Amino acid sequence: MSTIAVPLAAYQILAGALFTIGVVGVLVRRSALIVFMSIELMLNAVNLSFVAFSRQHGSMDGHIFVFFVMAVAAAEVAIGLAILIAIFRKRETANVDDVHLLKG
Amino acid sequence: MTEIILFSLFALTAVTCALGVVFHKNPVHCALLLVAVLLSLAGLFIMLHAQFIAALQVIVYAGAIMVLFLFVLMLLNVRRHEDVLTPGAAKGFGFLFALIVFVELLWVALSPGGGEQGSVGAPAALPQEFGSPAAIGRILYTTWLYPFEITSILLLVAVVGAVLLARRKFVG
Repeated sequence: MSTIAVPLAAYQILAGALFTIGVVGVLVRRSALIVFMSIELMLNAVNLSFVAFSRQHGSMDGHIFVFFVMAVAAAEVAIGLAILIAIFRKRETANVDDVHLLKG
Repeated sequence: MTEIILFSLFALTAVTCALGVVFHKNPVHCALLLVAVLLSLAGLFIMLHAQFIAALQVIVYAGAIMVLFLFVLMLLNVRRHEDVLTPGAAKGFGFLFALIVFVELLWVALSPGGGEQGSVGAPAALPQEFGSPAAIGRILYTTWLYPFEITSILLLVAVVGAVLLARRKFVG
């Protein structure tokens, strides 16, 4: 393996950009489904960062972390979408601004 | 050289489609654009010698999780909102905080190396089997055995919780 052409910082900047786009999605979108998709975007940005550092250090522990992040993401999506369906049945909305029962 | 071209291609696709996910009106299009982001990230994983993770990305993320998203999308059949973004000051603050996050991340990524080494050196030499399923399995079932088992409990909890939440009527 010769010298790597793409530096580590390029991967980090790309991961940062994707994470930021995910943050924007969580903060400004109203649909709960899109908010979930934005969270997936953020998790994937972190995964890219893990794999890039793993390559840099020649250690596979980063790959294991990505594996666990994927498992947690799968669990999160299953529970989150179930909650979404339950809310939709009760209130006929998937809009995060309409769900403010705890506001008092 | 080909590596730089491939990286630019995948990175550009990922960022463009990610912007589409956040700003597109139709939720189904958002889901499909997210699949494009996930696939281009899988390409980047292969460039980083993480073949097994790339395969998982395609099968688990782009396959299973996105099918779940599309399924719920079709099931709910959410009517189109006129305003996609949250109105008023919250939107402005959202963009402002996201900008702050991005500047911080850029700062960290571009700062000239903390720690004892001083700067980021050349990437380490890779062992023969780096990123192969066999090598990952070996450390997953030895060093990371307990986290792996705890993950299985987490998934069980998720399955039970999802079944309970999605039932038509709550008991009691």
